[in-house]
Amino acid sequence: MKISRRQFTAGTLAAGAAAAFGALPSRSAFAQGSKPTIAFFVKNVTNPFWKACRVGAEKAAKELGVNMEVVAPTKPDNIEEQTRLVEDWIVKKPDAFAFVPVDYKALVPSIQKANQAGIPIVMYCNDMTDVDKVTFVGSDDEVFEYEISKYLFNAMGGKGKVVHIDGVPAAFTAQLRKKGFERAVKEFPGIEVLASQPGQYRRLPASQVFENLMQRFPQIDAVVSANDDMAVGIVEALHAAGRSGQTKVVGIDGIPDAIQAIADGKMFATADYSGHDQGYLAMQAAVRHLRGEKVPKQILLPVIIIDKENAGKVARTPEERSAPSWDKVVGKA
Amino acid sequence: MTMQAVRPSARPMKPDLLGLSPDRLFVVVSRLVALTLIVVTLSILSPYFLTWSNLINVARHAAPLFLLSAGLTLVVLTGGIDLSVGSVLGLAACLAASLITGGSLVLGIAAALGAGLACGIINGVLVAYAGVPSFIATYGMLWIANGLAYVFMQGEVIYGLPAEFRVIGAGFVGPIPVPVLIMVVTLIALHVLSHRTPLGRGIYAIGGSPVAARLSGMPVQRRLMFVYAVSGLMASFAALVVVARTNAADVSLGEEQLLPALAAVCLGGTSLFGGVGGVAGTAVGALILALVLNGMNLLGIGTFWQAGVLGFIILASVFADQIVGGRIGRAGGTTQ
Repeated sequence: MKISRRQFTAGTLAAGAAAAFGALPSRSAFAQGSKPTIAFFVKNVTNPFWKACRVGAEKAAKELGVNMEVVAPTKPDNIEEQTRLVEDWIVKKPDAFAFVPVDYKALVPSIQKANQAGIPIVMYCNDMTDVDKVTFVGSDDEVFEYEISKYLFNAMGGKGKVVHIDGVPAAFTAQLRKKGFERAVKEFPGIEVLASQPGQYRRLPASQVFENLMQRFPQIDAVVSANDDMAVGIVEALHAAGRSGQTKVVGIDGIPDAIQAIADGKMFATADYSGHDQGYLAMQAAVRHLRGEKVPKQILLPVIIIDKENAGKVARTPEERSAPSWDKVVGKA
Repeated sequence: MTMQAVRPSARPMKPDLLGLSPDRLFVVVSRLVALTLIVVTLSILSPYFLTWSNLINVARHAAPLFLLSAGLTLVVLTGGIDLSVGSVLGLAACLAASLITGGSLVLGIAAALGAGLACGIINGVLVAYAGVPSFIATYGMLWIANGLAYVFMQGEVIYGLPAEFRVIGAGFVGPIPVPVLIMVVTLIALHVLSHRTPLGRGIYAIGGSPVAARLSGMPVQRRLMFVYAVSGLMASFAALVVVARTNAADVSLGEEQLLPALAAVCLGGTSLFGGVGGVAGTAVGALILALVLNGMNLLGIGTFWQAGVLGFIILASVFADQIVGGRIGRAGGTTQ
């Protein structure tokens, strides 16, 4: 691999030109034939969910021939830092933002500034109100937990004793998910809710809480956990207590070890809350908007249930996943 | 009144029962008052509480927190603080999980403990030799350890550890969970170390009065190095137990561990000003925190209420201890 100086200089100039065009008002990038730049925001670099979003978005960026810049706060989910990042990127003026707020209220003023600067914004994963956006791409937390609960209750023949493990009490998603659970419970009079306790969306606290609950309830027919990390912790706790096989555990998200546990028959099912697909579709939506195509105001992912039947076939890592079809998802919405 | 300027622990010691001088024994006993009150209350409120399996369950929950707080206790006894314990736990957990799932059990354990020890030694050098306040030195280390873990993990989660490793977190010896055995052994070892050796007495003396300790010819810097090194090492040791327990590791594992660890130390009667308290108290503190969660789960306290209830019980337990313990203290004629 040899690069002549001339080629190198030409490359540098092209990159410089791209950067310069990137700084011009948006929508024109495609028209001018240069590659548009899209700033893809994530909440942190620690949680694998955001990595999955990033991987999905990168696939779309590559397919569609756009530059993608990942923007993440170094302090996970830090409001103040994301506010600063948004301000920095308004100055850099990319062609579009694919944005997820670390807090759906606190970031409203920052995104309004981006609106004033004329940067088109695709929201993904968590929606925001009082801002102008091209579209929202995401999954409805309430519907996800409603569907997985209903799936479980049907499998139980509509009756039995169920424990719910909540997420972080303050988290909006946790509240929505629990609402979905409660809606499903109302439809099944034979389902008795023994307890609903917080597991903080994390494995260790959830397993400890569940171990405490096992002391109180000798018979637990099923557990609905507000995410998979907790569900796997509960599966472990059941196993340690010699109660595996007596309790059906369901979660939400579709993380790799939950899919593994389902394939192994240790966990019952989960709902695939795919970060990969959300990231991919958010990037697609942003590029299609820049191309001048019509994008619907809201793009909601369908609920896909992973159970023993299909767990063996589902891709575990975001890299292995195949990209969702835009027409199929948008056609459904 | 001039006597009050001298902390009890700085006085010459007459070790008796369990190697404790009377006033140190008093600190432990008075903490047991709070623990006993919680146990009695929960026994009355819930029929599921006072069973062998539930008590074992609570001890098992307290064990990882105790391991994390045990080294921290020694630091606090010298009048310092180690804010990096949670992050060091996270870093060590990631290293261990990654190398162990990569096939090398020994290397994984060694790397985790080595990283913890190294972080602790750096903290120690900064505090003891460079004169950096412990709050700042260990706050810096908090971010360094976090940062290293981020870079190392790249947002991945590692799961599926081998059964022979998982024994230390999830195994049982007879009816006793392995983490509980580890907790007891660690407690005894650190207790003996801090009460029966010149090194341990030095730790108390430094916390009581660093100037007096130095003037008495004690190698203050070396002892400070030692406590920070132990704190880092214990944090990485706790990481091994947690990873073995949960069967997974990600960078945020240590995120919410610092404050509960500090709370266990303080609930255990160790003064943040140094010189007073000990690891036995910290074990009680960790048990109190585990008991409160257990009690709330058994009683079915609503999700939104739990944080508030936890705070209330922590305050109430300290308050009960002050009232009851204060009386016993005066009746016994010990200085408090």
